[in-house]
Amino acid sequence: MFKKRVQRARQFKALMLAAATFVGAAALQPAFAEVAPYDLVTPVAEYKIYVTESVQRLVTETRAFTDAVKAGNLDKAKALFAPTRTHYEAIEPIAELFSDLDASIDSRADDHEQAEKDPGFTGFHRIEYGLFAQKSTEGLTPYADKLMADVLELQKRIASLTFPPDKVVGGAAVLMEEVAATKISGEEDRYSHTDLGDFDANFAGSKKIFDLFRPLIEKDDKAFVSKVEANFAKVDKILDKYKTKNGFETYDKLTDADRKVLAGAVNTLAEDLSTLRGKLGLG
Amino acid sequence: MSPLRSLEEAGAAMPDRRRVLLCLGAAACALSSGVASVWAAAPANEEGNVARAPASDKTQERQPFYGIHQSGVTTPRPATGMVAAFEVLASSPADLVRLFETLTARIAFLTQGGAPPVLDPQLPPADSGILGPEVFPDNLTVTVSLGVSMFDQRFGLAEQRPLHLVRMMSFRNDALDAARCHGDLSLQICSNTADTNNHALRDIVKMMPDLLLLRWMQEGSVPVIPASPGVPAESARNFLGFRDGSANPDATDEALMNRVVWVGAEQEGEPVWTRGGTYQAVRIIRNFVERWDRTPLQEQELIFGRRKASGAPLSGGTEADVPDFAADPEGEITPLDAHIRLANPRDDKSKINLIMRRPFNYMNGVTSAGQLNQGLLFIAYQNNLQLGFITVQQSLDGEPLEEYIKPVGGGFFFALPGAVDNRDFLGRGLLAAAGFV
Repeated sequence: MFKKRVQRARQFKALMLAAATFVGAAALQPAFAEVAPYDLVTPVAEYKIYVTESVQRLVTETRAFTDAVKAGNLDKAKALFAPTRTHYEAIEPIAELFSDLDASIDSRADDHEQAEKDPGFTGFHRIEYGLFAQKSTEGLTPYADKLMADVLELQKRIASLTFPPDKVVGGAAVLMEEVAATKISGEEDRYSHTDLGDFDANFAGSKKIFDLFRPLIEKDDKAFVSKVEANFAKVDKILDKYKTKNGFETYDKLTDADRKVLAGAVNTLAEDLSTLRGKLGLG
Repeated sequence: MSPLRSLEEAGAAMPDRRRVLLCLGAAACALSSGVASVWAAAPANEEGNVARAPASDKTQERQPFYGIHQSGVTTPRPATGMVAAFEVLASSPADLVRLFETLTARIAFLTQGGAPPVLDPQLPPADSGILGPEVFPDNLTVTVSLGVSMFDQRFGLAEQRPLHLVRMMSFRNDALDAARCHGDLSLQICSNTADTNNHALRDIVKMMPDLLLLRWMQEGSVPVIPASPGVPAESARNFLGFRDGSANPDATDEALMNRVVWVGAEQEGEPVWTRGGTYQAVRIIRNFVERWDRTPLQEQELIFGRRKASGAPLSGGTEADVPDFAADPEGEITPLDAHIRLANPRDDKSKINLIMRRPFNYMNGVTSAGQLNQGLLFIAYQNNLQLGFITVQQSLDGEPLEEYIKPVGGGFFFALPGAVDNRDFLGRGLLAAAGFV
């Protein structure tokens, strides 16, 4: 299976080299003996395919989104905002490795000293501010052009990136930490209130990683696997209640009781998934 | 690269740099000795290192955990305390049992001290490490109390509600901030140092993310006074500069504590499981300290009904002296609306309204108006919330002190009876009454 993958996607050569190095380093300190470092190669390769496909969709949809912004089509731009950014949210563990791009694509007003007025405030949320708070596409063209350019640059960098296995595995927890620290409060999409779509993408991205590595741990750690799965299921069940034809209800529709259940599940996933690297010998 | 990171790297580079300097010829060494000393290791004389940890001879002070009452109520108040309020996320009786058993086990460990387990270094460590590899008790108490919402329809405990437990109402002068009010469960965490409280809070938060969701927390402390043997003890001062707690009942008087603080068989209508517990009233009361500090001393003293320096009643004597309001029916000495007179008229009728106060002072930075955001983390215990805090607060409604204070948060809770031994756990009586254990 491993060989087949290599034949299918030549760009993974770099990854294989990295994995070989990694095998050497990790073999010195086998912590949870049942997982051989070599076993990580396939799931990491699978994850790169997932990210590559997601970023391709991000590019396609960002083009449609920014075109709508530049054409002054306010309604279309507003409708495309939430679905477009889900492809970014799902791959944040990798996207955030490029901190310069992450800041210009996805920073929020309060990451900047002068908030919305700050010239450094660009990307999705700057456009969101225009579309949903100022209710206009006026003056957004430069931000649309910059976002498109940044997303293309992200795609280029990801294509040539050797995926570090610890960042991939750790990404499952990182996504949960982000939701727990700065998203569960509804502050991410503060102008459009489309946070639930972001949550859904964050969970999907985290679950993808967990699913890829699950075969390596479920034999030895059934209780852990079923606890994590139960919490993902709990999240799914809540989010399902808020699904609409084109996405999700706005954040203000989330009941207090459901928010608490979500918060508890997110905190528990963050706590449990924080051990995933260690369990795979990547601590 | 973050500044912190680069500092660390600079630190890591130090020994190399020193070695290079040492390897130079003697002449060069002499020339560079001034530079070398800049990179010298920690000074041999410990006093010379400004980052040395402050030493305390109180880290082994220990409060009992097991007993018919929880510690932290009649326990002498240490220098620091906090209240943290949580939502309980339990979805089954088994979850509730796990919640209370885990809380009991963590508090038993944290208050007595010991070494947390050492895990594989590839895993996150079991303990935050704030207190070092060996957790010391540092006089820690963690007191678990339940809000009235624990007795709503979610958990099957509705029939077990303590008789007088209600949701904290808004009193006349209150401006309650919903984000700092109420909660299913409160922890009062007190010890000699704020860091020990923080260590305990983080331990509990980490152990039960699926059962407890933090809602709000407020830290506080009380100012220390110079030790003066042979001189009667003084109450600690609040941020208005007045001694607070002067009229508190004597916590060492067991009979009095049974009359004022602990729920017992005498409390008619209370579920049997509540015996040994007590009602906890928590209030976050902002003090407008700039304005207070611009108020004439004699006005401050008339508002409180005490001398600021000594804590004595306006009729004279010392802090310990009881004012004779009956001899001053017109309020010529102590105004009729003075804080201490309204709160405790010292007559036979008001004896049933006694409460045990155990407050801390808090500082929360600066308001958007550029004023100091500080005040009192008021905590009081009594065996009848209605006759205790609620009645006392209602009699204070409209007092002149209101101009200088603004209650903004808090909640009413019921502090569980103690766990009597290591086969018991906090809340077992409640869960047994509900048929869960």
